[in-house]
Amino acid sequence: MSWWQSWGLWAAETIVLLVIATGLLQTFFYIVQLVFAGAALGRRPPIARASILWRRYADEAPGIALLAPAFNEEVNIVESVNSLLALHYPDFEVIVINDGSKDRTLETIVGHFGLERVERYHDLHVKHQPIRGLYATPRLPRLLVVDKENGGKSDALNAGMNVARALLFCSMDADSLLEPDALLRAVRPFVEEPRKTLAVGGTIRIANGSRIEEGQVVDMRLPTNFLALVQIIEYLRAFLMARLALSSMQALTVISGAFGIFQRQAALEVGGYSHGTVGEDMELVIKLHRLWREKKEPYRIDFIPEPVCWTEVPESLKVLGRQRARWQRGALETFFRHKKMLFNPRYGRVGFLGFGHILIVDVVGPLVEVLGYFLVPLLWGLGLLSIDYLLAFLAVTFTLGIFVSAATLILEEVELRRFPNARDLAIVTAVAVAENFGYRQLANFWRIRGWWQFLRKKQGWGTMTRKGFAAT
Amino acid sequence: MSTLERLWWIALGIAGAALLIMIGLIVARLILGWTGRAREEERRRLIPILLGARPPTRLGRSARGDLLAELSIELIQLVRGSDRARFVDAATRMGVPERLRHQLNSGSTRVRLSAAEALAEFPDEASVERLVAALGDSNAAVRLSAALSLASTGKAPPARALVGRLGIGTTENSLLTVSLFREIAARKPEEIRGLILDPSVPSGAKAAAIEALSASGDYSLVPLVTTLAVTCDSADEALPRYLSALGDFAHPAAEPAVKRGLGSPSWEVRAAAAEAAGRIGLVRLAAHLRERLGDREWWVRFRAGEALARMGEEGAALLRRSAAGATEPARSAAALTMAERGLA
Repeated sequence: MSWWQSWGLWAAETIVLLVIATGLLQTFFYIVQLVFAGAALGRRPPIARASILWRRYADEAPGIALLAPAFNEEVNIVESVNSLLALHYPDFEVIVINDGSKDRTLETIVGHFGLERVERYHDLHVKHQPIRGLYATPRLPRLLVVDKENGGKSDALNAGMNVARALLFCSMDADSLLEPDALLRAVRPFVEEPRKTLAVGGTIRIANGSRIEEGQVVDMRLPTNFLALVQIIEYLRAFLMARLALSSMQALTVISGAFGIFQRQAALEVGGYSHGTVGEDMELVIKLHRLWREKKEPYRIDFIPEPVCWTEVPESLKVLGRQRARWQRGALETFFRHKKMLFNPRYGRVGFLGFGHILIVDVVGPLVEVLGYFLVPLLWGLGLLSIDYLLAFLAVTFTLGIFVSAATLILEEVELRRFPNARDLAIVTAVAVAENFGYRQLANFWRIRGWWQFLRKKQGWGTMTRKGFAAT
Repeated sequence: MSTLERLWWIALGIAGAALLIMIGLIVARLILGWTGRAREEERRRLIPILLGARPPTRLGRSARGDLLAELSIELIQLVRGSDRARFVDAATRMGVPERLRHQLNSGSTRVRLSAAEALAEFPDEASVERLVAALGDSNAAVRLSAALSLASTGKAPPARALVGRLGIGTTENSLLTVSLFREIAARKPEEIRGLILDPSVPSGAKAAAIEALSASGDYSLVPLVTTLAVTCDSADEALPRYLSALGDFAHPAAEPAVKRGLGSPSWEVRAAAAEAAGRIGLVRLAAHLRERLGDREWWVRFRAGEALARMGEEGAALLRRSAAGATEPARSAAALTMAERGLA
């Protein structure tokens, strides 16, 4: 064997070992997360009925401003606002922020609820596009509409944050469907540790396929679309495993934009939502960690496993691909913007566990895995690698992938049992296996696209086509 | 076998095991579907017993016992008055409190927490004793729930002892401690009052005690709380809560504390003081409030404007003057407060 052949063989083996080691490291992270998530589920308080929660919290629950940004939501806005106003919580106000809609969103809401233009003395702490007017009516003291020039979701949330007068605010998407007792459940950490708790996230569930009436999921059913089914497994892994575990380690790095409660003053202190990033929800959480770590003040950012919010997920490859590329871009933007936190003892667990997780799963993970898909079969086909390498690669990408998904499902079934029947459980188990063959590779391709867009500094959200939550 | 080949077999093994467990769980769910129906049947059978339509039977430590305990609590919490007493009586005769006491020994925090909450409905001696023991539980939420249950039945240990055992104001900062003190104060206000007077009680516990008593209308507390607010460290985290409670009392004797608060270096204290000034109607502090309209913190400006707007013509005149002549941000604060309140 010539020197260059030996060198080539050594290089091929080293690269593939690197790919396998990364996969193993990822799986190790997931197993640790499963253990922590299991322990956290065991410790969680019993799921009390809304009436009991009300009795318990009625006197002490801090006020919450629900910030609902709306852009071209003319069709659904009235139903959405009605369902928000019907939430069970002692002290809340709904602030709808019309983010320069091009349709008749403002006219529809103003006309339907009989709102009038009002004045309100509000904060100007965080920057956003100018507010054109505020609308309210004494008949509905819980409702306030902010009409502003278009600036995107984070800009709209910043305007809402400035206008809000409650101690806490809840950020959500215009099409998030909240459980009626979502606020009562999610406020628990703020009641238990009122000064320390800065933010709380809750479990988001997929509404595709379920029956929805008057803004409420009344009958939970599995979607029939394969992509939506796969996302059920992904959401379980993301929320039940990763976020719950990272939260119990006090290293949670993201609270979903679909539902999150924040201490208003803390969010203002870090400058609110950042502009110029598509991962504004992750960015806000990281900014909170960063500032409080730098101030060396004790704090908590928690996640509660109870489902609080339902959302519609994309059912077409095109829209899903765009969304995943955007999420990847958002994670990369936040990671590189705050890269000094990585493995920096000053930032404690967030620097090691939170940023370590982002590094392995979001930054390096997709690159290395896609590299493996091309290189391993090629090098094996060229006779440069033994079958052992191929088997080990298959183990870390396919077999351990199935293990992690199945283990998350076990956790869900043992601790929460939220799938209504055995048939649904069997379907999601089959999907947990099937997603590793084809979908996982596609998802990695989308993430590589996100990497590419990040490198090219592409901005903007793209078009998110939704079917809408008309009664189904 | 090489390490890499071993990895393949291990991965295959654990993935296979996970899938087998999952299949087992699916089968278990099928069986549960059938037993779930049986459980529903059992619920329907137990309701008449709890309603007193059929004679109660004693329970063993069976699954049926858990179901009965759960059902009893649901029914008890649904009703009031004589119906409630009847449910409690039937559940007691069927051994529900005994089962709940047993559940307080469970290894699961969730089960202990549920049991501690549910025992509030059964003020018998054995349950009280078990709840008192649960004040030493390893989990803080269980300890607090046990205390709340004891307080709701009027059997709580002395408040000072509770502060120590639960670490109220030090390790236990839940807002539910205010509910706890309020429950105790309903029967023994002197105990909660004693916490305010006791110099060894942490300021967080004092603040909870003051908040619990602030709706009582006991104005003799005002000088006490005022003294506390005037003498405590200006950086004390409990100070805004003292001021807020003084606002609830709405008694002018709180003026020295409010005046000091308006000049505090902490914006939270300044905001709480401004709010209290408005709620008490301390017109003599109107000039100080006008100054606070130019505060660097929005909350303080907002509370100062709100307070002035509550003070009738005198406050409105100051707002008008600020809206016309002051510099920003006081001018906007005054003008927009007036516009919002229809004073413009």
